[in-house]
Amino acid sequence: MKAARLKTAAIVGAAAMALGACGSSGTATNGGGSGGSGGAALTVAGVIAITGASDFEGQNQAGGILPAIYAINQAGGVLGHKLVYKGVDTRADPADALPAVQQMLATTHNLVMVAGPGSNSAPTIVPVLNAAKVPMTAVAGESAFDRTTDQYFWRLFPPDAANGVAMALWAKQKGYTRVAVVFGTDTGSQGDKPGVVAGLKALNIPVVSDINLTPDQPTYLSSVHRLMAAHPQVIMTESDAATAGTFFGELKQLGGLVPIIGTEATFTAPWITAVKGALGSSFQQAFTSLITAPSSKTAAVTAFEQAVTADKSQVPKPWQSYLNNPFSITYWDGMVAVALAMNAAHSTKPTVFNKYIPQVTNPGPGKVVVYTYAQGVKELKAGKQIQYYGASGLIDFNQYHNSFGNQEAVGSNGSSQPVKLGTVTAKQIEAVPVTGVQ
Amino acid sequence: MSAWSFYISTLVVYFGVDLLSGVALNLQYGYAGVVNLAFIVFQAFGAYIAAATTLGPDTGAGAFQKYIFGAHLPFPLPLILATLGGAALAGVVGLFSLRRMRRDYQGAILLIVSLIAAEIVTADVPMFNGSNGLTGVPKPLASLGLGLQAYQWSYAVWSLVIAFAVYAGVRWLSRSPWGAALRAMRDQEVAAGAIGLNITVLRMQAFVIGGAIGGLSGGLLVQYIGAWSPGAWGYAETFVIFTAMFVGGLGNYRGVALGILLVPIIFLEIPQFLPQIGYPGLIDSLEWILIGVLWMLSLYFRPQGLVPERKNIAVGSPLIPMGEGTRLASLAGGITGRAR
Amino acid sequence: MLSTLLSAVAFGVVLASIIAIAAMGFTIQFGLTNVLNLSYGGVMTIGGYVAYLAVAHGISAWYGLVLGAAAGAVATLVIGHGLLRRFAARGTKVFEMMMVTLGLGLVIDYTLQAISHNNISQFTVLQSAPLHLGPVTLTPTQVIITAVGLAIFIGLEALLRLTRIGKALRAMASDPSLARACGIKTSRIVVFTWLLSGALCGLAGVVYIINAQSIGYTTGELFLPLVIAAAILGGAGSPSGAILAALLMGIVTQVFSAYGNASYSTAAGFGILVIVLLTRPSAVLSKGENEELALS
Repeated sequence: MKAARLKTAAIVGAAAMALGACGSSGTATNGGGSGGSGGAALTVAGVIAITGASDFEGQNQAGGILPAIYAINQAGGVLGHKLVYKGVDTRADPADALPAVQQMLATTHNLVMVAGPGSNSAPTIVPVLNAAKVPMTAVAGESAFDRTTDQYFWRLFPPDAANGVAMALWAKQKGYTRVAVVFGTDTGSQGDKPGVVAGLKALNIPVVSDINLTPDQPTYLSSVHRLMAAHPQVIMTESDAATAGTFFGELKQLGGLVPIIGTEATFTAPWITAVKGALGSSFQQAFTSLITAPSSKTAAVTAFEQAVTADKSQVPKPWQSYLNNPFSITYWDGMVAVALAMNAAHSTKPTVFNKYIPQVTNPGPGKVVVYTYAQGVKELKAGKQIQYYGASGLIDFNQYHNSFGNQEAVGSNGSSQPVKLGTVTAKQIEAVPVTGVQ
Repeated sequence: MSAWSFYISTLVVYFGVDLLSGVALNLQYGYAGVVNLAFIVFQAFGAYIAAATTLGPDTGAGAFQKYIFGAHLPFPLPLILATLGGAALAGVVGLFSLRRMRRDYQGAILLIVSLIAAEIVTADVPMFNGSNGLTGVPKPLASLGLGLQAYQWSYAVWSLVIAFAVYAGVRWLSRSPWGAALRAMRDQEVAAGAIGLNITVLRMQAFVIGGAIGGLSGGLLVQYIGAWSPGAWGYAETFVIFTAMFVGGLGNYRGVALGILLVPIIFLEIPQFLPQIGYPGLIDSLEWILIGVLWMLSLYFRPQGLVPERKNIAVGSPLIPMGEGTRLASLAGGITGRAR
Repeated sequence: MLSTLLSAVAFGVVLASIIAIAAMGFTIQFGLTNVLNLSYGGVMTIGGYVAYLAVAHGISAWYGLVLGAAAGAVATLVIGHGLLRRFAARGTKVFEMMMVTLGLGLVIDYTLQAISHNNISQFTVLQSAPLHLGPVTLTPTQVIITAVGLAIFIGLEALLRLTRIGKALRAMASDPSLARACGIKTSRIVVFTWLLSGALCGLAGVVYIINAQSIGYTTGELFLPLVIAAAILGGAGSPSGAILAALLMGIVTQVFSAYGNASYSTAAGFGILVIVLLTRPSAVLSKGENEELALS
């Protein structure tokens, strides 16, 4: 009974504070954007799958957005307003997401930003939010958004295809010539698979075995056998954690383990825990993942880590897993950038501050580089132009409101701490001509 | 206030869609005694057909998604095709699931049909784009240039018009001699067969009509939300409509309408307004637990629902003398120890 | 290729063992009480969770099996004797009882979801080198699972055919009123059946998670359709029928994923049920005399 269309939004985050936001919304005069202090709380809505098959999306988001809100409030809030988070559950289902989002829009008056929407519901929800003039920091990989003209859409995340092409480039660099692709039939995995297949095709690397795994089966023995019969040198994969645990456990026990290259989505705590449990000591050696390149250890990274640690009681367990979670870091950066844009615009009104978002992130002549929210506010107050350099690294929105950087091949030491193995640059990725990718 | 208007109008559309579902299930279950635990599959099929025939042809390489029989048909052809598709699918499923068998077997088998269908659609990406589903389905008559607000409410009214037209039609059918024959079959299958009613045909007719309505409801829904994927039709969705039917009252259309208003619309929207308790997702779990409890309680205390079937409907039916005791003593429609 | 076929068949037997343990419990319960119990999957998950917690607290997996079985037995007794009997006393009939268990299944599953915080837990008990049996390679776990399945089948058949209570159980399953007339204490038999089938259900949950290496709140529920299909195919109340049906479904599923599109394999397993319905409708015909609930 996963992801049923019970049209509900679970309200997550700081409950009392969210209530406060609703309760006080009537008295707030948020129309023109106030610079005063002690204003009504501003709501950041997380439009994401909180329950159902893709509930990890909600956890990834909470791991980044809640610490960001915490840190911004610690630094005095935005123009005197505190931020509160309100979760809106899409259940990875557009039919659930639509009324949930509309209910949220109807009941949330001081809404300044949406974190999300995630992949599954983005095509339905992005137009609704754009029409409602709500800025969103989407983590939706659909290539449909590569050249979007929606003014309120912002994506600090590579499209799915970029990750797939990076995996293919990495395989090529490693000299692999026989690749097996093993993907779950769940939404996330199927969303990422075309990019991987197209990348391999573009680089002329043959796919010797193409296996789809129906999630939650008691056994995948025949698929394992089939995979082994094809003698791949490497497996490119993504599936939900439980399925991956069963499949790779059986693969190892039958003696067919070869190196594994996972998509970015595999570099999350549940997947790593499940597969590490199934592979035991072989895991570290076998597993590589291509992820958005973590930034060098700037002050932005330190600020993120400190905030996660300080806010650890609020984020879903285990809190340590978000320290290196690329999705969480993306949400953090999105939140900080939007908050700085409000400061730069002297307004909490989305129609006013929306266009300031690239102005506080993109590099430019004469800009002061800042790494934290507090630092940015200080420089803005001093009348400076700023460039927020995020925990995920350089943020540079193009004309389509997309910003993404290099991809990095990483291993895991067993926790979700990445161990750097190599880099695939954004330039390399863009040079690969892929077609037919969702 | 326009955000409220959007929200309410969406709920109105959903009410229309759910009412269609309730009417269809009530015909199949309340009248014909067919336990269609796969109902959501027919809605899903209608939605997919309407989506695929509105989206335009699948252009292959470089395209956004994959699907079969892509076409760009003008409104309201996709809706009509969705209805026919639902009916056709009901015909196929009915072939093996309507055989004379214990009704609990039938329920279990249809439940399994629901699971297989979801698995096949998820696994077979080229059919309806697998688990990612179809998105970007154009809204019908968008070219009329109505404002957003006006369009919302037009669609809401449109779905209500369809829902109540079907409601009236099915209620009329149920009160016709055909409906009386259905109830006769439901309550006394052997006797109904003995007086010359063709049980197989009757049951199939009710099933196919229900399937058609299911398909229509799916088409109506997908043209509104613009997207459809396996996440939207998990087999548990059927339970929500069943609960509404149990709560409202089986075999009674007004009761079903009340149940639909109470359960999927009001009852399931209320938690959205509650503050968070516990960890994220807890409310969701509690909601389902509550549905299960509500379901069991209504079976325990009020098997006849809030608005029971009107006892005098069948009076005057020349076909069967219906004893009060044998009739809706059981909400299932009386499988009271019948032989066969 | 012969080895592919042999492997697929062997894998099918492993899968069948997992299905069969659950299906045997289900079919005995169903055959005697006439309750098509859709909360059975939830009880499987309960058994699995108890074993998971036991192992997580350092108890050996073998005791985990026993504890899982015990949990299943207790939960089933509470459901059957405590709850369903009350419904039956109020006049709930065969079909409505299935609907009751469906609602109950929802309650169990989502209570587990609420307790487990919707997390999937990792469960690995045995890691060792594969065994090569001719062209077929299996893991020790799988061999053990198959052996457990076989042992349960033999034990169950012996119980039903050789012991007094087993014979009484069979007598009651075929005709409750006659059994009662012969002086069999049917209420005791019913309690025994709840306990026995519940224990098998809990055990099946543990075996399932040992093989799948993880457990979540939907574990049993997702598996239940296969179990029901096997029980219906094999004929209510017949452990040997359940075993045969499980073998058929297991082997078809695995052979299909070896040669066809693996994504369709489970559907292919269910497809057997549909084919049987179309070609041998008598398999599911209601028998008339056997349509009363027997809960006391």
